Amino acid sequence: MWKYEKKLEYPINIKKKDLRMAKALLEQYGGSNGEFAASLRYLNQRYTMPDEKGYALLNDIGTEELAHVEMIATMVTQLIKGASVKELMDNGLTAQYVQHDHAIFPTDANGVPFTSAYFATTGDWLADLTEDMAAEQKARAVYEHLMDLTDDPDLLAPLSFLRQREVVHYERFKELRNYYLKKFNVKNI
Amino acid sequence: MNNYPDFRKFNYTDMYNKMNNLFNQNIDNNIYTEAYEDNNNLYDPYNGFIRGNLFKDLYDPYKIKVPYDVKPMNEQASLLTDIDSLGFAMVDLNLYLDIYPDDNKAINLFNQYRKQKENLMQEYESKYGPISLNSESLNKYPWAWDDMPWPWDN
Repeated sequence: MWKYEKKLEYPINIKKKDLRMAKALLEQYGGSNGEFAASLRYLNQRYTMPDEKGYALLNDIGTEELAHVEMIATMVTQLIKGASVKELMDNGLTAQYVQHDHAIFPTDANGVPFTSAYFATTGDWLADLTEDMAAEQKARAVYEHLMDLTDDPDLLAPLSFLRQREVVHYERFKELRNYYLKKFNVKNI
Repeated sequence: MNNYPDFRKFNYTDMYNKMNNLFNQNIDNNIYTEAYEDNNNLYDPYNGFIRGNLFKDLYDPYKIKVPYDVKPMNEQASLLTDIDSLGFAMVDLNLYLDIYPDDNKAINLFNQYRKQKENLMQEYESKYGPISLNSESLNKYPWAWDDMPWPWDN
């Protein structure tokens, strides 16, 4: 089970409304390489890892990703707070307003709803962990694109934090994969 | 004027000057013992926290040359930043230990940070209200858990 802590993993306090960035940030909420996809990917794959190291790592990274889901939702919420209908329309958020008003909904930056088709569970540790490594690299690349789009420290600080977490998670998945390659004497990789 | 707890008083700064850096180092030295210094491949909890990475050899910044300092603007925010830092160090050591369960130094460091976080959580929650549902601060009327602000507010 899970326990909630009534705080963010890293503090967010955005002072400047920015609808363009709100729309862009949705990519990391309900997009194919976003935090929801990451969390659900690992939490679903954990059941069929070969041993306790895989159980633990996928459980714990999947859990941390939930805290990242909350950080992205917090950023989007604060970025669109108080925006008028006209401001939303002028910034490509007409459909967002029609469907969700100022509410949060897991879509990508183009408004395409989240789907579990964004991730796989194969029951094969090598396939799953190789996907996980790629997922962390794709998320890192998206965070870099998002950081390219803004100079607001209130956004850059948490985005930089989240990007760095992708770097660390990638490393841990790689270490787990290498450990299993050796343990199960896998050749031709 | 409301008097509910407010943890949102902090700012980021990219004016990374030596004074500020030394100031933060001093704060850290009051809170964290020397154990991390034995692990010179690790940042201390605050410096790991602002980087999003406790492991020096894995730190790989993009766009920003130096990490943003999290600047607490009042005592509550300062206490929360210490809790955030220790909580972050625990998360990163947790993931590392999942792969390297035989690293006794890392186990000791994890437990040291865990105890420090527990103590600071008790102090914070007794002053400013609950962060966790295990908190003694919930033993009060009326029910305190739903008190504003919630983390996503600004």
